[in-house]
Amino acid sequence: MKRALVIFGLVLLSAGLFAQESDDISPQRKQAIDSLALEKVRDLSKYVSIIGNKDTPWSEAQRVIERAVELFMPGSEMGVSSLSRPEVHYYKIREYFDRLMQLNYDRVVIEWYKIQYVSDLERQPDGTYVGVITIFQSFKGYDNEMGLVYKDTTKKDITIYVKRKETQIGGRLIGFWDVLLGDIRVKETSK
Amino acid sequence: MATIVSRLKTVSWQQFVVITLIALVAVSFDSCKSSGKLTRKEKKAQIEMYKKQMREIINGTTKMTFDEQVQAISEAINKNFRDDELNQLILQAQQKNKNAYADYQKEQEQKVAVARNKLYDLLINKQNLSADELEHEMDKIKAENLNDDEINELLSRLEKKISEMRQYSSVEMSLKSKLEGSFQSIADASRAGNTSMANSLIDAALNYFSAPDVPVLIIISRQGSVVDYDKPTTIINYLNFLKDQKESRNSVDSYQMDPSGKIKELDLIK
Repeated sequence: MKRALVIFGLVLLSAGLFAQESDDISPQRKQAIDSLALEKVRDLSKYVSIIGNKDTPWSEAQRVIERAVELFMPGSEMGVSSLSRPEVHYYKIREYFDRLMQLNYDRVVIEWYKIQYVSDLERQPDGTYVGVITIFQSFKGYDNEMGLVYKDTTKKDITIYVKRKETQIGGRLIGFWDVLLGDIRVKETSK
Repeated sequence: MATIVSRLKTVSWQQFVVITLIALVAVSFDSCKSSGKLTRKEKKAQIEMYKKQMREIINGTTKMTFDEQVQAISEAINKNFRDDELNQLILQAQQKNKNAYADYQKEQEQKVAVARNKLYDLLINKQNLSADELEHEMDKIKAENLNDDEINELLSRLEKKISEMRQYSSVEMSLKSKLEGSFQSIADASRAGNTSMANSLIDAALNYFSAPDVPVLIIISRQGSVVDYDKPTTIINYLNFLKDQKESRNSVDSYQMDPSGKIKELDLIK
């Protein structure tokens, strides 16, 4: 009986190992996924600039907000900090973009830079790859009469979720990598 | 005449009967041959020949096809030589032939399955092969002479696809560069801050497509037959994406046209 249990255990273990191995992807494919996730964050940085830009027409900003929201997992939040207060406020993504569009400055310039992984994408037991990308955000708010009235630099961490999915398009079965961004957390804010 | 009659009279009846009997034996011997009955020597030779054939079938050294083997076994049975050793060899050859045929059938089924998968891959042109490369692959499958209805049907579909590819190849080159030029112009106009120009270029680019919701697939990695895509989008969203991102990062990989000559599906590659 004891021997049978040991054999059963070994079979289960080898099956588990096999299943794990069969999910492995080549380094080239992994690199393509890493780049895809980084690219989504860069895409978001452009959307943030467009939405924050006071020259962007309202309808255009709404369209861009829709595209930007699609990049996120439902329920994700964005952290917002200010040099004038110690606490960080967290807003649902759509609310954040709506507020960003209505900021009380005559001109806003937002730039993201140093976009890089701080935690590589790692495969989770459910097959999702999870990683963290960090960005630095430069925010500048201008007044028509007074010029630059506020500026800060914020370091933010973005959790990334990547999962392989399949869909049928024109009779073809397409395997695609769905990259979704999670919460964006403020790590530090400085002048 | 008188001479002949006198000579006949000299032949005794006894001699006549002997000559007639010899003639009859000779005639009957000859007719025996033509009616298929064998002399003992011929029968022995045939038995040896069939034994040799059966042994070759049993040893797997025969050069006969399966049909020829079945025919030889059947002939050997029908001859009914009543030779115990030959009968034993026939039984063994029958069994061997049956097993070999089952193996052959299995092998054929496997070949058909492999060819079917290959043909489906070629039909969707997973590896983005040229018309000549597709034809080369198709010829390799044809050379296997699989004689399977489904394979034949897939081959004729592939032939049609290759012919269409050749028909559109000259148009294709110019359309590919036109599309890429159009994508770059949208990005350039937006980067230059000319949003209205970018929007006009988007409207113009949409004319290449059947509808604004034509699917756009972006290949992020291709290793052999394994292709990874970004999340599928539509052409209207992709054109706006070019405007928003102010850069065109992807090349046209392939597209499918509708009967009116407009693009109904677009594949891009990073």
